Amino acid sequence: MEDSTPIPSTTPDDRAEHYLVLLSEHERALAAYVHALVPDRLDAEDILQSCKLTMWKQFGNFAPGSHFLAWARKIAFHQILNHRRSTKRKPLYSAEPAFLEAIATEIDRVSDTLSDRSEALHECLKRLPENQRRLVLLRYYEDHDIAAIAKETDRTEAAVYKLFSRLRTALNDCVKARLDSSAA
Amino acid sequence: MNFSDHIDRSFDDQLSQEEWDALQQAIVADPELRQEYVEKRWLHATLAAESESLRGLLEESPWTQTAPPKRSATWLAAAAAVVLFGLSLVLFLQSRPEPVIATLIEAENCRWAGSDLPTLEGAGLGSGTLALIEGMATIQFKSGATVTLEAPSVLVVESAMKCRLVEGSVVANVPESAHGFTIDTAQMEVIDLGTRFGVTTTSLGDSNVFVFEGEVKVNRDDLPEPKHVFAGDSLVSRIGAIPERTDQEVRRVDPPASSPGPDWTALSTSVGRGRDTFVRRGDRHGPTGSHPLLMIKHTDLAPHNERRVLLSFDLAGIDRASLRSAKLALKLEPSGLGFSSLVPDSRFAVYGLVDPEAAAWSEDDLTWKNAGALVEKPIQESTATRLAEFEVRKGSPNGLIEVSSDVFVDFLRSHSSEIISLVIVRETGESDQQGLVHAFASKEHPSATAPTLWLQTNHEK
Repeated sequence: MEDSTPIPSTTPDDRAEHYLVLLSEHERALAAYVHALVPDRLDAEDILQSCKLTMWKQFGNFAPGSHFLAWARKIAFHQILNHRRSTKRKPLYSAEPAFLEAIATEIDRVSDTLSDRSEALHECLKRLPENQRRLVLLRYYEDHDIAAIAKETDRTEAAVYKLFSRLRTALNDCVKARLDSSAA
Repeated sequence: MNFSDHIDRSFDDQLSQEEWDALQQAIVADPELRQEYVEKRWLHATLAAESESLRGLLEESPWTQTAPPKRSATWLAAAAAVVLFGLSLVLFLQSRPEPVIATLIEAENCRWAGSDLPTLEGAGLGSGTLALIEGMATIQFKSGATVTLEAPSVLVVESAMKCRLVEGSVVANVPESAHGFTIDTAQMEVIDLGTRFGVTTTSLGDSNVFVFEGEVKVNRDDLPEPKHVFAGDSLVSRIGAIPERTDQEVRRVDPPASSPGPDWTALSTSVGRGRDTFVRRGDRHGPTGSHPLLMIKHTDLAPHNERRVLLSFDLAGIDRASLRSAKLALKLEPSGLGFSSLVPDSRFAVYGLVDPEAAAWSEDDLTWKNAGALVEKPIQESTATRLAEFEVRKGSPNGLIEVSSDVFVDFLRSHSSEIISLVIVRETGESDQQGLVHAFASKEHPSATAPTLWLQTNHEK
């Protein structure tokens, strides 16, 4: 293909296809964005679902060729604020609008580096020692909480919490190191 | 106050509300702390958001990876060679009798339809179309590549280096001699770079590639450049319309086919308060009660993909005491997900729910997360009774399944509630995460028969 700019869609099928192509390209980044702003994993997933529907409904307003992810983040942010207002049960950590605003702005500021970060993180994950891989799988893949992992690995909760704190620090350092070395 | 520590603790629910509020205020006020929070939070969020691909990623060890391929010029040359080869073959074919470009080396329980090529095991194949309705068939191309076709599939053999998958699933094994072997679908072109990989397409036009070993290159019109897919990864493309729930439920009016006799009554899940749905452990898309397929899978390799099917039948007005026999009929449908060659002959078990609370599920909101006792493993005796089991042979994703047993009839006779509710589980696993997801038609399926309970009662009474 000579021209990578998407051609404005005309028929409904074209439009759906165009939307799905853009969505599949940016889905992971959008998911990370919503999860970053919404501490509760299930809430984040619900918001992400309704967000994709809203984006589809409003896709007519999206200017072809402009920044899809930035447009999507804007819609997601509104969904998060709406969800916060509409939800009846108060989540464990409800975030204040001022706080959400500050975090969203900061993410927008660093958004250019996020896809590099994502790649660096993948590389860092592959290099984790066996015991830390297991922790990642238990926490994020099996969706166990700290208490369950403590039980499973025969440790105290405080010890498991420390392990995760160390794991995240190690991953963060690894990501930073990779970004620095590729920037140099 | 050490806010760095607070940040970490907030991810693991270890903060009090007061500490959390204080952290929020500090983050709003302090740009540096904000940056640190976003860095850490983003890492945590990415792991949570990408949880499903983590397993494959973490099992990939950096030192077993093959060296990255050289791109650009080499690729163009390779692609050009394939095109030239195809072109010369076409010219060649026009003037000569059909040469043999592949051999049908294995045909397991096969039924064929509409094929213009020989379908006997051992037959030499020229270019042409193979349409497999049932079973599994393996073709070895002259280049050395083998392709296993899983029913129902339609494959066009084009050359020793190329075939086109019109519909269905294939798994390709490509030795070094055949690098560059290509599988075309309506949406994409998959070029092998030394691998074992699978391609599926559905009648809706979606195409998916799964790489088990090595690497493939995918060309797709909507991608600005070819995409490389590595072992353990997949590329999924969905071009069908966005599935949206319709408010109007599709109700089937035609009775299920083949009544076993005049004293039999058919009750499908669309009758009365009947319901059908499936739940998937890692589901993030909400209830699937209105899905046309009831998907089912058991796997120890990817727990998120575990799926169970739930059915309810409305037996109001049926004289249970005079019930003589009963059978459950399920229509197997291709799910378009996973590969049949990676699962053995599969065994399924049917359970009848005895716990009224568990039986009160609603297809509008049931998901794995709220299914409680329905998704316990194993299912507790206080929840459900094992009624029957059945088997689906490898490579036969179509066909009608009929299940019956004495325990099943006893259960229907003795269970007092008007609604009876069943759970179906697959008991056998798979040898690879990309193993087949079995599916039965649900009451929302546009053409196939919904799950149906056939009941035979005494008329003499």
